[in-house]
Amino acid sequence: MKLKNYLSIVSIAALLVACGQHLNVPTNVTMENRLPSIYPDYTEVTIPANICPMNFIVQEGETEAMARLTYPGGEFIYGEGQKILIDEEQWAEMLDSAKGKEIKVEVFAKINGKWRGYQPFNIYVAEDSIDEYISYRAIQPSYVAYERLSIVQRNITNFDARDIYNNMSVSTEDVGQCINCHSYKNFKTDNMLFHMRQGLGGTMIVTNGELRKVDLKTDETLSAGVYPAWHPTHNLIAFSTNKTGQSFHTKDLNKIEVQDTESDLILYDVDKNEVSIISELDDELEVFPTWSPDGKKLYFCSAHFEYENDSIEKSAEMIQRYKEVKYSLYSVDFNPDTKEFSNVQMVYDAASDSINQSVTLPRVSPDGRYLLFAQAEFGCFHVWHADADIYMMDLQTQEVQKLDAVNSPRSESYPTWSSNGRWIMVDSRRDDGNYTRPYIAYFDKQGKTHKAFLLPQQDPNFYTFYLRSFNRPEFMIEPVKVSPREFAAKAKEEAIPAKYAAQ
Amino acid sequence: MKKCLKHIYLIAFITVAYILLPVMNADYLYTIQDLNVFISGHTFMMETVQYEGGWFCWVARYLTQFFYYPWLGSTILILFWVAIYWVTIWMFDIKNKWSFLALVIPAILLYHLLDYGYWIYYAKLPALPFQPSFMVLTCLLFTWGVLYLTRSLKISWRLRGFIAVCLLGVIIYVSDFLWPSSPWHYNYSFRHSILTTLTDKNFKHELKMYRALDEFRFEDVLKEMPTDEDEAPTNLMVLYKNIALMHTGKMDKMFETNNCGIKPETNDSLNIRISQLGAPLVYYMFGHMNYSYRWAMENSVQYGLSFRNLKMMTRTAIFNKEFEVAAKYIAMLKTSPFHRKWAQEHEAWMMNSTNFFQSQECQTIAPLLNDEKNVLDGDNGLCEQFLLDYYSNLDRTNTPLLEDITMCMSLWAKNYYAFCIHFYDYVQSNPSRSIPKLYQEGAILLGRAEESPITLDGFRFDDIVADKFNGFVQEYNSLQYEGVDEQEIANRLKPLYGNTYWWYYYFYNDFNIY
Repeated sequence: MKLKNYLSIVSIAALLVACGQHLNVPTNVTMENRLPSIYPDYTEVTIPANICPMNFIVQEGETEAMARLTYPGGEFIYGEGQKILIDEEQWAEMLDSAKGKEIKVEVFAKINGKWRGYQPFNIYVAEDSIDEYISYRAIQPSYVAYERLSIVQRNITNFDARDIYNNMSVSTEDVGQCINCHSYKNFKTDNMLFHMRQGLGGTMIVTNGELRKVDLKTDETLSAGVYPAWHPTHNLIAFSTNKTGQSFHTKDLNKIEVQDTESDLILYDVDKNEVSIISELDDELEVFPTWSPDGKKLYFCSAHFEYENDSIEKSAEMIQRYKEVKYSLYSVDFNPDTKEFSNVQMVYDAASDSINQSVTLPRVSPDGRYLLFAQAEFGCFHVWHADADIYMMDLQTQEVQKLDAVNSPRSESYPTWSSNGRWIMVDSRRDDGNYTRPYIAYFDKQGKTHKAFLLPQQDPNFYTFYLRSFNRPEFMIEPVKVSPREFAAKAKEEAIPAKYAAQ
Repeated sequence: MKKCLKHIYLIAFITVAYILLPVMNADYLYTIQDLNVFISGHTFMMETVQYEGGWFCWVARYLTQFFYYPWLGSTILILFWVAIYWVTIWMFDIKNKWSFLALVIPAILLYHLLDYGYWIYYAKLPALPFQPSFMVLTCLLFTWGVLYLTRSLKISWRLRGFIAVCLLGVIIYVSDFLWPSSPWHYNYSFRHSILTTLTDKNFKHELKMYRALDEFRFEDVLKEMPTDEDEAPTNLMVLYKNIALMHTGKMDKMFETNNCGIKPETNDSLNIRISQLGAPLVYYMFGHMNYSYRWAMENSVQYGLSFRNLKMMTRTAIFNKEFEVAAKYIAMLKTSPFHRKWAQEHEAWMMNSTNFFQSQECQTIAPLLNDEKNVLDGDNGLCEQFLLDYYSNLDRTNTPLLEDITMCMSLWAKNYYAFCIHFYDYVQSNPSRSIPKLYQEGAILLGRAEESPITLDGFRFDDIVADKFNGFVQEYNSLQYEGVDEQEIANRLKPLYGNTYWWYYYFYNDFNIY
């Protein structure tokens, strides 16, 4: 028999198998008067008009499940075991057709040989799209160890995920390297940075597509740049500098405290390779700088903390008094042309007796009206604080509201905005308390936040078997163009020392 | 006979390999398996294969699981070596009398496997038994395949071999180009640890004691502790032994059972820490769930995820009532045919708390969960030091077991101030209980110390203990008076007083915590 004949037979067989797999919803169904248990929970969420398929797993029964998705243009039925895996092309068709409307989802599960149906739910499709990419640091929620650490970019309109940089490309068996925060100028990647510590340490800065490695530590500053914020219009980056320590709870399920014994703010002039001080007050722990969209204001957090005991080290006293460290939110005016800062103002006195909380990780919306931040009882490292929640301040009215739609009983932190200001992304530990996952919520034109949903994955079981956290997720409107190989090659070079410029 | 030579060599090699692997080093192989992980499913596979050499690693990790039964894993590995032997013979057309040369590669691979010693805890190469063998076999098969396919070309055997090797080089180069990084550190250097694996008794004791302790077989832990006075145990063995004594109600026998640990010495630069060797289990056995979880996590990050650490994280999460994260780890463990039963048992405990409370694990550990308030602290990587300090300074001893632990730990740490306070509390709260011999020994010794906060007035000690102490002091003073050096005094007093706290207190000064 000729090869052509073989191929014909195989093709027909494949076609028959495919036809045989055509799904029909079961007819003999016992209805349950409740929503189905599904993971991730995509019931009644609002999604972007360009998000990837919202695959999920039905957590009812143990063998077989099915879902019928009805949209204005028709319906599709899916089911592979307990997984609902949506075809990407069909999903795109559904989103196009349902923009500004909803997709109705009916779930059926086979339990003890009999089909059960559940209350249908809707997935609302917003008119607004979302930035095509996010990036995050993929890190195991460890305490001091850091191997196999990478910054990953994920196209969230499909399932493509790639490393931006992986520390294993430069680590050796004896000397490891930790990757710190990454930041982009205006959601674009031609101007971006991330920092590396320990082996081959330095700050990787991409300026107009050109890569260099600099050493931001000077004799006059506490450390290299830690928490970064690119200025929206100029080649300037605000950083915090920190002396950070870690200590461990013997019983508390928060398990770890990450504390700054000292911290200041610096400004790095990318073009001049110069570092200058923004703020270095003795009894203040300044951290988490972030710019207003017009670049004329720098927001930051600061905790007033006076060391009282000269007989012990600062880190030891900090451990003893860790619950007293409470950060409030400040702003300082900035003239980008003269690079002068002036007029420090209290924006939100979280540490005051009446509020008695600690604010971290502020982010201003692209229209400059709203400010997101993470708030918990004390401290600066809210990713490890179960009580941490996301709050929003209306900068016009100064009104602060807790965003119940994105919060959970567990830690929420690292809030951020999409470039169009319609989507909020936060890091949440709601799934299991230990691993942070990116949750996205719609923020509509009326200023209402909708129920957050977990970033979809091709395999809905992905998060169960994935042992890394999605740390510091950031939106990007384009992928990073510098390859991991180029980053690795540059990382192996000596860092260019930054100059200190006294103000 | 000559015709059979290649078979005779092979049989001899297989015999030696079986003796060196499952017969002599079953615990070593089991531990290697325990420090490996294989999770069935798409996510783990994609995580593994996305890097250079990932497919080799994925298959090697799968095969390493079989060392759960050391003879089974060894059989599979030896089959790889047999294949390497035959392929080498066929490829190079080696004559019978020279066929032993084809055993050079399997012999190196066998040596390589046994050359890890304590490095099994530190090597950043997952699935270390199979990864090198699988790669070598693949390269040989590839080369052989090229030679076979090019046999009809009218070029010399050498040139065809050269082409094969070049092609292999191109594949390696291209793979290096396609995959920018590798999450593993391939290091085939000889580690000079084969003597540790084959002859270091303490290394073998530690492997056995860990497994027994992990399975709550406390009597087996104690049996594994050497009784020979000349055989100095490691600190970790002492810890394991004392944990077993603690959970069998015999902690006050700790100084009668060789409590003088040493730090293991290795032939290379390896800096051994208990944090990597056994800290998660040690902390768990003391009820320190957070610290146990922490070290299981840290070791997973630094040296690779393992079944061992997944299990520790599961257990601590269950005790901490962090059921969602425990379920996550259980879901992973359930994919392994060798660890599924363990996972299902622990899953059942989560579903039914009564089963959990009735389990030996819970009943053993729960009495250690003291009501001391949370402390923000750290162990600086020194698990043993942390435990000694923590229990010596523990204020609230809400169970009899904790009372014993605080007393014993403060004696072990030679923290006489803490011991005196605990002793006083102990006697006050147990007026009708006879004071164990060890505590009497400690109180008599420390009560006479110049800075002691204890006055012995009102305490009655057994005559036999008091008389023995007087005898110890007299003999010690007399030997000192004769000018005998300390080491010699220790040796002379050991037969009579070696099982007393006094001997430990005076003569064990080499407390090298690691």
